[in-house]
Amino acid sequence: MIGLLKKHRYFRDHDLKSSYDVVIIGAGAHGLATAYYLAKRHGIKKIAVLDRSYMGAGASGRNTTIIRSNYLTPEGARFYEASVKLYESLSQDLNFNMLFSQHGHLTLAHSDRSVNTMMERAEVNRLVGVDSRVVYPDEIKDLCPQLDISDHPTFPILAALYHPPGGVIRHDAVVWGYGKEADKMGVEIHQYTDVTGINVENGKVTGVDTNRGTIHCDTVISCVAGWSTLVCDLVGVPLPLTTHILQACVTEPVKPLLDKIIVSGTLHIYISQSDRGEFVMGSEIEPYSGYSNTSTFRFIEDLAMHMIELLPMLGHAKILRQWTGYCDVSPDYSPIMGLTEVEGFIIDAGWGTYGFKASPIVGFTIADLIGTGKTPELIQPFRWARFYENDLVSERGAAAVSH
Amino acid sequence: MAERRLAQRQGELIDRSQEVSFQWEGREVTGYAGDTIASALYAAGTRVFSRSFKYHRPRGLMCCSGQCPNCLVEVDGQPTVRACMTPVEQGMDVKHLNAWPSLQRDFLHLVGRLTPSFGMQVGFYYKTFIHPRRAWPLYEKILRNAAGLGKLDPEHRRTERFDKVHRHVDVLVIGGGEAGLEAAAEAAEQGRHVALVEEGLALGGQLAWGGPRSNGRLTALIERVNAAGVEILQPAYAGGVYEGLLVPVFQGRTMHRFRPAELVIATGSIEQPLVFGNNDLPGVMLASGARRLVNQFRLMPWEQAVVLTSSDEGLAAALDLADGGVNVLAVADSRRGADGSAIEDAGIEYLAGFQPWQAKGSKAVTGVVVTRDGEHRTLACDLLVMSGGSVGQTALVSQGGGGIRYDRDQRRYVPDSLPDGMRVVGAAAGSAAAAGAVPAQAPKTGCKQVVCFCEDVTTKDIALSLDEGFSSLELSKRYTTVTMGPCQGRMCHRNSGLVIADQLGLDPDSQRVGVTTSRPPHNPTSFSLLAARGYEPVKRTSTHHWHAEHGGKMLWAGDWKRPYDYGDGDSEVDAVHESLGLIDVSTLGKLIVRGPDAAAFLERLYPNRFGDMKLARVRYGIVCGDDGSIIDDGTVARLSEQEYYVTTTSSGAGGMEQWFTWWNAVWKMDCEIVNVTSTIAAFNLAGPNARTALSTLTDFDLSNEAFPYLGAGHAQIAGVPCLVLRIGFVGELGYELHLPAAAGEHLWEKLMEAGEPHAVKPFGLEPQRVLRLEKMHIIVGQDTNAESNPLEAGMPWIVKLDKESDWIGRYAIEWYKRRGNRLTLVGWEAQNGGVPIEGTQVVGADGQPAGRITSSRFSRRLGKAIGIAWLPVEQSEEGTAIRISDPKGSTIPATVTHKAFYDPDGERLRS
Ligand SMILES: Cc1cc2nc3c(=O)[nH]c(=O)nc-3n(C[C@H](O)[C@H](O)[C@H](O)COP(=O)(O)OP(=O)(O)OC[C@H]3O[C@@H](n4cnc5c(N)ncnc54)[C@H](O)[C@@H]3O)c2cc1C
Ligand code: FES
Repeated sequence: MIGLLKKHRYFRDHDLKSSYDVVIIGAGAHGLATAYYLAKRHGIKKIAVLDRSYMGAGASGRNTTIIRSNYLTPEGARFYEASVKLYESLSQDLNFNMLFSQHGHLTLAHSDRSVNTMMERAEVNRLVGVDSRVVYPDEIKDLCPQLDISDHPTFPILAALYHPPGGVIRHDAVVWGYGKEADKMGVEIHQYTDVTGINVENGKVTGVDTNRGTIHCDTVISCVAGWSTLVCDLVGVPLPLTTHILQACVTEPVKPLLDKIIVSGTLHIYISQSDRGEFVMGSEIEPYSGYSNTSTFRFIEDLAMHMIELLPMLGHAKILRQWTGYCDVSPDYSPIMGLTEVEGFIIDAGWGTYGFKASPIVGFTIADLIGTGKTPELIQPFRWARFYENDLVSERGAAAVSH
Repeated sequence: MAERRLAQRQGELIDRSQEVSFQWEGREVTGYAGDTIASALYAAGTRVFSRSFKYHRPRGLMCCSGQCPNCLVEVDGQPTVRACMTPVEQGMDVKHLNAWPSLQRDFLHLVGRLTPSFGMQVGFYYKTFIHPRRAWPLYEKILRNAAGLGKLDPEHRRTERFDKVHRHVDVLVIGGGEAGLEAAAEAAEQGRHVALVEEGLALGGQLAWGGPRSNGRLTALIERVNAAGVEILQPAYAGGVYEGLLVPVFQGRTMHRFRPAELVIATGSIEQPLVFGNNDLPGVMLASGARRLVNQFRLMPWEQAVVLTSSDEGLAAALDLADGGVNVLAVADSRRGADGSAIEDAGIEYLAGFQPWQAKGSKAVTGVVVTRDGEHRTLACDLLVMSGGSVGQTALVSQGGGGIRYDRDQRRYVPDSLPDGMRVVGAAAGSAAAAGAVPAQAPKTGCKQVVCFCEDVTTKDIALSLDEGFSSLELSKRYTTVTMGPCQGRMCHRNSGLVIADQLGLDPDSQRVGVTTSRPPHNPTSFSLLAARGYEPVKRTSTHHWHAEHGGKMLWAGDWKRPYDYGDGDSEVDAVHESLGLIDVSTLGKLIVRGPDAAAFLERLYPNRFGDMKLARVRYGIVCGDDGSIIDDGTVARLSEQEYYVTTTSSGAGGMEQWFTWWNAVWKMDCEIVNVTSTIAAFNLAGPNARTALSTLTDFDLSNEAFPYLGAGHAQIAGVPCLVLRIGFVGELGYELHLPAAAGEHLWEKLMEAGEPHAVKPFGLEPQRVLRLEKMHIIVGQDTNAESNPLEAGMPWIVKLDKESDWIGRYAIEWYKRRGNRLTLVGWEAQNGGVPIEGTQVVGADGQPAGRITSSRFSRRLGKAIGIAWLPVEQSEEGTAIRISDPKGSTIPATVTHKAFYDPDGERLRS
């Protein structure tokens, strides 16, 4: 409580300098976390984080904040598990309450094929040390009495993957928490600073051009998620990504009734209820790619129809607002992280619909990569070159509707 | 009740001859027909309608037009209903939302007052409850208990019927005020089909609530609209404007999905509050709200009113209220040079240049302090009317793709560019008088000056957020939650923008302030309404009813419903092995590829060869993606030189049709593709007695010599023209019959009859899975995933790298071949009694996942568990011992095998 009486200035404005040690493009959760760990763990302080808009304007401020580690591949499960662990102490580490609400995550199976997928995930998870198991209707009823587990719905619930550590968090708080601690250590966050060019000489990065002038630096990290292909075009690094919109919506706040996150791949929906009482909901990406960010009516119509099949109590709840965000989808639903063919240009992309949960571990590992010059083992499977080596990490089965 | 109403007058909405009673907080209240819940409660003396979101401050009526959050109540179990927009109905049950134990005495309000210095200041949540970490679950419980506005009934089920209508009109007008009515009449008079949507209880907008002077004009307009044949939906609201001018309109329990050729936005303007101390006390109302109560519901519960204004709108309101019978004591106008003579002529004191400072009172207004140049004046009153000018209601314009810009001269937001087919008329277009604003410097009075009524955000909160570095509208908005409440910023968007711009010393249209985007839906809309009459299409085969009537357990299989089994899967398996079984495989995708290039086309699509195929033969094939992964499989029969009949997996049918037609469009080959999946039924008659049984229905020579394994031919069977394919997914002699779906039920019954001497059994999906597993036939999508290539999947023979033509996936598969296999798809068997669960893992020496079990069944015939698994090549030798995980933590030992478990040489198939 004492904290409330003190005056804080969390974020300061700066003039843009002509050179920095490291330039990070994108002041989302990934960019700011990377800046924080670079300063904190590696003592690199001359860092500029540039964003064409305000911090968190991208997917970091628009996502539905599901945090979980019950992925399908051992590589994925280990990576996201490390992130969940960092999240668990993040409020204390950054001295900012992120309202991490960790009450468990249920992925429903409505067909025997998806029961198999759930079993596969549960077993991979169990073997790599992630808390996750398959549960059946009786237990589902206990875990989440609000769900209609009868055979009345069009697609009755047969089983679910239960992941107790799954949770939701306040997304802006993550962005601000990393941002304010980075600011405190001298990192400069430059909002409304658009990167319009990346300069390369002899295969090495030498700086970036912005709407506010040119900056010299020999390390540039691209943390721009949905804009990744555009930024990588500036430096000539090809990425196998397509950007799609993902829609989400929220209800008026009502007294909390639902503490589990519910996901149904068959019905293309997921839902959680925040500590404020709003139901936060979403679906899968739109099938078309592009940068149009218009919300569609179909989205809330279909979502509402399917939602009251699962949770009939929602009939009277009201959708307050819907929105969209960009998702950079990779062919194997896994991220692309680390070195590229241009020396000094580090990529952090391919976050699709699931990158928010990775923010801490992304910052941690990318900072380690720069600080030590070695690619951490945890992100080795996600290297950019895997597409040349045909060595993919297929998470399609665990990352399509479950973000 | 009666004594609280003013004398009857033209323009009132209530019908004094008809009383309506309902429940409010468990007490009975009586109003008139035509009353809203809010007006009836007001007449009955209710002043506090709700408690505010955060501080639980008492709130009374403010806008009376469905904009502000102050009168949100629960009606018949539906939370967050706007009392001022909902007509009273006999017997309805109305309750308050956000207070405990009661509206009058709210516990959380007390808490807020006891901790004034930091209690619930902006950012409160982020800065508290951090340490110690283990206490967070407890803190969180407290937070969750305090959260939320209304309550949902966990037992609620939709019982009423909701509906959805698709509508096409020439012109849709949103808003039934003067401008909307005029636009509608004009269009309809030109012979166009016009619909008009109005959310209020009366047509006319300001003409309706602005007092008797406008009654004549309104009556004439309504007559004109009616005469022109405009269709009026009222009360109904437009839920948003989506791409292609899709406008969902909600009326009662019906959703109208309008797609008008032209859309006219006539949503008028919204009067804005003023910012001053205690500006949210019950008794502080917007001028337009007070005028609605007086003119439409003839309510005058006040002794004395003071009007606060920053524009001419407030002056007009003062005169109208006085005319309607309200005792207006004074008008404080924050402008100095305005003309207040009309006010003075009406005998009302006019205070030029006086800004509101602070409202007096604790649960209701008892007076107001106004100020000029350091001079304070206190006026006693019980109604404070405020008018901060109006802003055009442009949310629908921007949702529909129009641009909005800030007009510095008018100090308001106006539509800039419009999408095709959209027109904006009236006040929404910015034609109303220039708006006033919040005072340049909001007074620092020590008591709360509310900017955002929904979210309880004050000027102090905004100032604090800016000081802390959240120094833009977007950041401050996210930090303080200003504009994020149920009214979506209608009551606070302009004022918060002005406060922020002012504090940062920026123009309201600068980058850091700007205009925030308006997000649909336009009004909060319930799931029930949005879901409307939802339905889930089910695909059914021609014999669906037969299966259901004969004990078929009908389960989802992709988009279809298929029999899982008919009650006894084991005996169905036995029937196929020992005598005869019949399965409906109509769900298979079926494509005809026809034309001079048909053969060349398939050569390019499939890794294996089809160009060299003889007529009347059928061949198994897989389809690969560009990355060399298996995306589908099925059979291809050559019907003639230029015609092939292709089957795909059931779930792959739609995707394969797209895949085929897409490539055909890319390659521009001379062939066509027809998807006949739903017009052709398919049955598989399988078992040692298949030939004998089928012979009784046809003259076609089924002998092994005339029609061997992998033959394809046309035959009349029981009078039905069929394409017969001799293939065997289930491992026994079998005939797959493809026929017109219309004859499906007939032929199915004939086949069952013909099989009767052989004790034929229909068999379902599950027995089929066991049968195919015994043959080690894979199911694409179950035994393969997005990364399975045919080399690793044990089908190198199907990949013809020596084909002349290029084919899809070739590059990748050649690459895989050079690299060598890492994984491989093999069979396994487990004799020790355990039956692994599909999806479990093959455990490596380090205890980590090394492979996965894709299929697993207990085969009664073989007396052991059998299955398919992906294994690392090193562990895949025939006879290798593997360990399979089990959810309970133990492992099941098994042995790798490469040969089919049943009839490995296919003798039975070929017999
Ligand atoms: C609706 C929705 C729901 C989602 N739900 C989840 C979920 O439940 N769980 C989960 O884990 N993930 C979820 N995601 C995905 C997740 O939000 C993203 O993967 C993640 O936030 C990416 O973070 P980031 O910091 O890399 O990128 P962003 O937050 O997108 O930040 C990128 C920043 O780069 C800036 N930028 C772009 N180009 C330039 C340039 N040229 N110059 C300067 N700056 C530039 C942008 O302004 C932006 O601020 C969801 C995404 C969406 C859209
Ligand atoms: S007043 Fe409704 S959102 Fe601010």
